[in-house]
Amino acid sequence: MKASINLLKQFIDLENISVQEIAAKLTFSGLEVEGIEYLARGTNLVIGQIIELENHPSSDHLHVLKVDLGPKYGITQIVCGAKNVSLGMKVIVARVGAKIGFDDIEIKKGVIRGVESNGMCCSLVELGVDKSLLSEEQINGIERLPDDSEVGNEHVLEYLHLDDVILDINVLANRSDCLAILSLAKELKALFSRKLTLPETKEFNTFESKLKIDLRAKKCYQFSLVEARDIVVKESPIWLKNYLRSEGIRSINNIVDIGNYLMILTGQPLHMYDLDEFNTDTFIVDDEYVGSFTALNDKEYSLVKGDIVIRSRDSIGCLGGVMGAKSCFVNENSKNIAIEVASFDGASVRHTSKRLGLSSDSSSRFIKGINPSQAHYVLNLAMQLIESLAEGKSFSNIIEVDKVDHSKTVIKTTFDYINHRLGTNFSSSQIINTLSSLGIVIESDEDNLTCTIPDHRIDIKCDADLSEEVIRLIGLDNVKSTLPSMETTIGGYDEEKNKREKIREHLIARGLNEVLTYSLVSKEENVNLIPLNSDQEVKILNPMTSDHEVLRRGLIPSLIKTLKYNLDHQNENISIFEISEITTENETFEELAVLLNGKKMLQGLLRDEPYSFYDVKGIFESILKILNIDATRLKIKEYNSSADFNPYQSAGVYLQNKLVAVIGMIHPSISKDYGDTYVLDILLDSLLNLKTSKKKMEKISKYPSRNRDYCFIVKKDIKVEEIITLIKKSSKEIIKNVQVFDVYALDDSKSVALRVTYQSLEKTLSDSDINPIENNILTTLQSKLGAYLRD
Amino acid sequence: MDNNVELIEQSALKEIESAASLEQINNIKIKYLSKKSELLSLLQNMKSLEKEQKIALGMKVNKAKETITNALEEKRVALEKEALEKKLQEQKIDITLDGNDFSRGSMHPFNIIVKEMVDIFSSMGYEIVEGPEKELDHFNFELLNVPKDHPARDMQDTFFINDKELLRSQTSPVQARVMLSRNGKGPIKIISPGKVFRRDDDATHSHQFGQVEGLVIDKNISLGDLLGTLQLFVKKMFGEKREIRMRSSYFPFTEPSVEVDISCFECGGKGCSLCKGTGWIEILGAGMVHPNVLKMCNFNVDEYQGFAFGIGIERTAMLKYGIDDIRRFYSNDIRFLKQFDEE
Repeated sequence: MKASINLLKQFIDLENISVQEIAAKLTFSGLEVEGIEYLARGTNLVIGQIIELENHPSSDHLHVLKVDLGPKYGITQIVCGAKNVSLGMKVIVARVGAKIGFDDIEIKKGVIRGVESNGMCCSLVELGVDKSLLSEEQINGIERLPDDSEVGNEHVLEYLHLDDVILDINVLANRSDCLAILSLAKELKALFSRKLTLPETKEFNTFESKLKIDLRAKKCYQFSLVEARDIVVKESPIWLKNYLRSEGIRSINNIVDIGNYLMILTGQPLHMYDLDEFNTDTFIVDDEYVGSFTALNDKEYSLVKGDIVIRSRDSIGCLGGVMGAKSCFVNENSKNIAIEVASFDGASVRHTSKRLGLSSDSSSRFIKGINPSQAHYVLNLAMQLIESLAEGKSFSNIIEVDKVDHSKTVIKTTFDYINHRLGTNFSSSQIINTLSSLGIVIESDEDNLTCTIPDHRIDIKCDADLSEEVIRLIGLDNVKSTLPSMETTIGGYDEEKNKREKIREHLIARGLNEVLTYSLVSKEENVNLIPLNSDQEVKILNPMTSDHEVLRRGLIPSLIKTLKYNLDHQNENISIFEISEITTENETFEELAVLLNGKKMLQGLLRDEPYSFYDVKGIFESILKILNIDATRLKIKEYNSSADFNPYQSAGVYLQNKLVAVIGMIHPSISKDYGDTYVLDILLDSLLNLKTSKKKMEKISKYPSRNRDYCFIVKKDIKVEEIITLIKKSSKEIIKNVQVFDVYALDDSKSVALRVTYQSLEKTLSDSDINPIENNILTTLQSKLGAYLRD
Repeated sequence: MDNNVELIEQSALKEIESAASLEQINNIKIKYLSKKSELLSLLQNMKSLEKEQKIALGMKVNKAKETITNALEEKRVALEKEALEKKLQEQKIDITLDGNDFSRGSMHPFNIIVKEMVDIFSSMGYEIVEGPEKELDHFNFELLNVPKDHPARDMQDTFFINDKELLRSQTSPVQARVMLSRNGKGPIKIISPGKVFRRDDDATHSHQFGQVEGLVIDKNISLGDLLGTLQLFVKKMFGEKREIRMRSSYFPFTEPSVEVDISCFECGGKGCSLCKGTGWIEILGAGMVHPNVLKMCNFNVDEYQGFAFGIGIERTAMLKYGIDDIRRFYSNDIRFLKQFDEE
């Protein structure tokens, strides 16, 4: 809402209160002033008249002027470069010492090419006036003042109606009443305790209207009309145009402007119908109309059931609360009009306005809510203005249908409640005075208040609302800082989230960089490299762009996008991870994905090693360890069911037959743009949820351990894990560890070298203890895997 | 004979002195101290001597033996030391070369801020609760006092999935979820960090961003408690010298509602470009939980009151680290990410 200070001053005494003070008070009380706009700025200005005009002796475009500044300042010499100077012209003179425009440019006494100059003839642009409000001549030359301008007048900005200051107020959704100058005036009255003078109604002799209203739409609560006959439609006076301009509303003609002006004053949108064009004896307010509608913006809209229209039997006059029809718009030929003041349901208007992408100052006020109890007042003000500005003499009575419950909102509360909610100790008289200043009528005894709320404050509905009124007016700086006194609770994450945070910290400590990418992705990004999820994607009904129109089903595509971004910016050797929520049609879970690309830089460029499958596998194993999950609870299998992964270097990890993680190399045919890339993708929830056994100390043997090394030859497709499992099984008590220390391929078999650590809790092991176990191992491996010892 | 001992000793010491390797030392040892050495064979040829002479010679030989042994040992140690020194010299390194990589990676600045807030509020006894990003309209709006077609919906341009589901436009729905789960019983003391989504995209707005929501419900909670809590938080988060102030505002689910400003940490309140000359920076929105919300979530409003607040994660990080564009959080340039991780 833009509020003209000059307009406000017509209704509230603001004498000796600076604009800054007004802005600060409004801001702290909840009406944030986001900007203070001056129409123009200048000091030491005076109206002068050019009484001599000569060419500058040493310039072909400068003139030397003698300007009469009136009796106080006399005649002065000014060198001027404007093209539009002429003898006898009345001009704005900035005297020496003046500061003009928003950059406060100071005018100094000067000598221009040898000729003395004492001041400057100004253009409005130089005074800071927005160019969009000015004509070509005004922009390119100095301002030509009307011939009847008074020479010597120092109140130049006032004379030109440029002394106004416009407050740009961010009116929040609850204070729609403040989309009205009169309500703002009431607000300032409460804030500054100044005198409020509201426009008064006037008696009119009226004729009996023959118009009827047929109110069919449930979402129209009240509909009132007044006819005005034999009016004269013409240009609005300057003051009216100025106030509309300060609101950013274009002047059309006096009648339309009166409607808009009253909307600015009262917050009540009005609509004017040309009764000769909208030829009907009945105004039908209907929400069943289906068809097209041409609004006064010349655009055609197709209306559906639920859109409220005001129509005759055969034409649409207005899309209720949104915009009038082109056909019966009041123009310079109009003679007889109807003034509409109505109350439409905000939700209904919002619905129509959103669907059509059509909004107006009127619709936005209905959407936020209007005071439904001022129709007669607004109509009376309209009649007064039409009388004075459009030669209106003949007005009808008010015809209306009114279904609004006009009973006042009454709220009962206690002084105690208000102080208890605010944490304050305001006295009852302080509370009563504050609420009364808003026009709230109060009855009270020692403890209780009964508050009758004025009509325009439709936002005040309950006792909590009253507490807000008290504190925002007395000032939030009166709240004393305390801390909640309550039962002690234990803070922090729950156990599962704690584990997640531990994993996050672990990965970072091990050198990975955490990333965070968008949950919304394009459809194309949501197809490949999503091994853990086969569910349908969730689509957004109203996406902003096709780049972000579906919820991602997995993290790896986002990590690849991040990888490419970094490679494009010469960041190489990327090791990144993300933990984020994934949502699909039927599932929501947390996923962890790791991506490695390039080399592990062991010592800068001196020593490096390409990332491999075993790096991502190692990360996975370390996560299991953090989660205290025994690796034997999971099955690791070759993962070759997806064309996205290299089938020879990828593994799937299964928990009770459910794929919970994929460790692998992106298929080189996919990764050819960015090179070999290894990823780890985990359904984190399924691991975090897993119940694990409590940690218990494991006994450490005090007897020495003994290592024996073996080198087996086995068939190529035998996995080392199978060998190790069999060895471990052969004696759970004595075999403490089995480690691989060499693997290499032979023709159609491979050699696997293992170190087995034997140790007992009870004694020092001798050969005779170990040999039988060893023999058992050798025979088992031979019979089950065909493994034999290399010579 | 006596002279012989001295001669042998002198000759041995001479040889030891000129020895240049451990091998030579060994040879000298064999030559002079083995049983068949000249020195020790003197003892075997002693039979012919008188008892006193025997004793005297024996002592002499033993003394010579000891002298030679000590000299040998001394020389051996010296040679070993020399050899080691030589070896170490050969292995001399350039200490200015890079150390082996043992560096920490980096936490995303978004999560650094979350972690700081989580740590502060955890220490004050707040539970950390997370909620789903795909949310029901019911929780995101209706239970928060924003019915269908309420104008406040226009404050947050929302991504819809269908009539009932949307991407949450705020973390506030977690308030409703937690309250409902407590069946009308306090106290509640939570914060809820997470991602939210709005149809907005420019240098200061991203269609995805983070918020941390706070909620405290109990029998005697007042606006003063909100102020005190936020003061504690702000001082811990932004420094002891920071002050806060409240301005009246509007959120549908709080009444009274306030915007909270923090004294500028760049200029300390004098006015600078960060605070646009005002000395204050808008940092969060808060208020007393609206009675309608408490009622809808099954709390008795005659018994319970509470406060709620919400703070932007990226905005906090941008202010704290001087980050110029919110989109940097999501392009994840490694050079950007690595700048903020501490510890």
